[in-house]
Amino acid sequence: MAVAEKVQTESDPAAVAARDLLFAWPGQDPVLRIPEFRIARGERLFLSGPSGSGKSTLLGLIGGVLEAGAGELTVLGTSLPELRAAQRDRFRAQHVGYIFQLFNLLPYLSVIENVVLPCRFAERRRQEALKRSPTLNDEAKRLLDDLGLGGPLLNRPVTELSIGQQQRVAAARALIGAPELLIADEPTSSLDQDVRGRFIDLLLAECESFGTAVLFVSHDASLGDHFDRQLSLAEINTVRGHH
Amino acid sequence: MSSLTTTLNLAGHSLYNRRVTAALTIASIAISVALLLGVERIREEARTSFASTISGTDLIVGARTGHLNLLLYSVFRIGNATNNVTWESFEDIRSRPEVAWSIPISLGDSHRGFRVLGTNDDYFRHYRFSRSRQLEFAAGQPFDAVFDAVLGADVAAELGYELGDEIIIAHGAGAASFAEHDDKPFTVVGILQKTGTPIDRTVHVGLAGIEAIHVDWEGGVQRPASRRSAEEVLEMELEPEEITAFLLGLKSRVAAFSLQRQINEYPGEPLLAILPGVALQQLWEMVRIVENALLAVSICVVAAGLIGMLTAILTSLNERRREMAILRAVGARPWHVLMLILSEAGLLAASGVLAGLALVILVTAAIAPWLEQQSGVFITIQPPGVFELVIAAAVIGAAVLISLWPAWRAYRNALADGLTIRV
Repeated sequence: MAVAEKVQTESDPAAVAARDLLFAWPGQDPVLRIPEFRIARGERLFLSGPSGSGKSTLLGLIGGVLEAGAGELTVLGTSLPELRAAQRDRFRAQHVGYIFQLFNLLPYLSVIENVVLPCRFAERRRQEALKRSPTLNDEAKRLLDDLGLGGPLLNRPVTELSIGQQQRVAAARALIGAPELLIADEPTSSLDQDVRGRFIDLLLAECESFGTAVLFVSHDASLGDHFDRQLSLAEINTVRGHH
Repeated sequence: MSSLTTTLNLAGHSLYNRRVTAALTIASIAISVALLLGVERIREEARTSFASTISGTDLIVGARTGHLNLLLYSVFRIGNATNNVTWESFEDIRSRPEVAWSIPISLGDSHRGFRVLGTNDDYFRHYRFSRSRQLEFAAGQPFDAVFDAVLGADVAAELGYELGDEIIIAHGAGAASFAEHDDKPFTVVGILQKTGTPIDRTVHVGLAGIEAIHVDWEGGVQRPASRRSAEEVLEMELEPEEITAFLLGLKSRVAAFSLQRQINEYPGEPLLAILPGVALQQLWEMVRIVENALLAVSICVVAAGLIGMLTAILTSLNERRREMAILRAVGARPWHVLMLILSEAGLLAASGVLAGLALVILVTAAIAPWLEQQSGVFITIQPPGVFELVIAAAVIGAAVLISLWPAWRAYRNALADGLTIRV
């Protein structure tokens, strides 16, 4: 592990580095053309843009579920276009945490089971979690506690939690096993104004403790102040006028 | 934790979340499997039961006819003999050194739909059924006088007869015969214990009794000119001239084949000797067509059950795209999604098979006493055997196999949807 970290530090790969990235749905005009995009390791970046501006497409590319038509895309020093789909899936499972806008949780699993789920699919996440706590469940509880969820709430069916509580469970799940990159796709857009800021602060604090880089996407530019850096998709995407 | 354990665990939770649909699917598989296993069980038990109707008899001898025909009318009281065996031939053959015992059988009359069988004391002494069980009396004793009768358990129960009751025997085997031996009634002196064989539906009288009611009959009608009263008949010599068939027990079973050949080449008259076991085999071959048809129907029912499962899984796929996207987001690969659906099918089928096995055991336990009383088929409750295990494996295997289809669709969806939630 130590050797691997050293190698990565030496080459100093960014969390995300894209150059001349191009994406188009089959038979359509390009949605994304990004000459240059970069997130440093541990950097917390806020990316804003109206709905339909291609934010989800960019996240799909970085998450490895979409394949770029052309260009370079390196995540954590690994060039995604060189990987096969199955390898990209494996890579994402090991290194990337993901939070959706809404309905992040599997309704048939308990809160704790939902949180430890990534450790079931990725050995690296399991090992990292066990470095921090004696068991996976303990690590899940620790994370939930840090995010302000604890006690009797943990024994409730996830369907009985409020949306704010559900998003915190989703955050704990995205962070378990210390992924190097967290992708959050409008995770606060369903939350009330007063909960939003608190949620983001808790999330970012946890990411800092893990050294996790954050790519936080939202149409609500007012949230940008919480982050190291703010960016509008329009600033990096040269495709315009589609919507 | 291995991926299979993970997907099985997830599939289990996911199914429990949709437990009403899952339970219905399991129920339909359970019922179809229970039907298949039940049909097979009853088939086997019916065979055992048929085979146990006659036990210890080495040869059945009658006038020359079909093997099956002889077996059916002599043992199962089905059909009629076309010809008789003369008393002389019977006397001759039963006095052979290799013969240990013999039972003469005279058929052709009936009492209110129940066959009347004329025989002698040797019947009660030597007849064996169901792995060497002997006939036992529930009341009374064997017939002694000419007009004594011993009833099978069902005859007594259905017609409400008790010891001392008088019964009229009718000429011919029909339920409503116009030619009755009403001038010579018989008295019930014995009632047999239930055997679960055609004996329960038989009225037994002595050979002399059969002779007695026919002395003044010729060609199926009573001749008024030669009419004799019951008292007159008792004065007469009542040695039968003919019997329908007879059963032989040999001192050594090895002798059965050579004696069979000798009887089949008997110079006095055309006779047929059969080995009961061999004749039963022929019977099975005849009923195999029906059995196979039943088996085919139950297999179709199992197929219908599995198609029901397939429908349930396919319908669930659309409403579960979110579930799949979440799984993908937490690191499940499309391959896991495929495995998840297959695990689900495997779990449904395995639960269905288990429930089906339990159902068969419960139902057989519940109906066993009734079935034995009604049809004489005695069902033993057994733990699942090789057949049950093969069926279980086949059903689960087929379920997983056909679920490759929805699993493949889920796999394609997972690839196409990626991490986007489409609802």
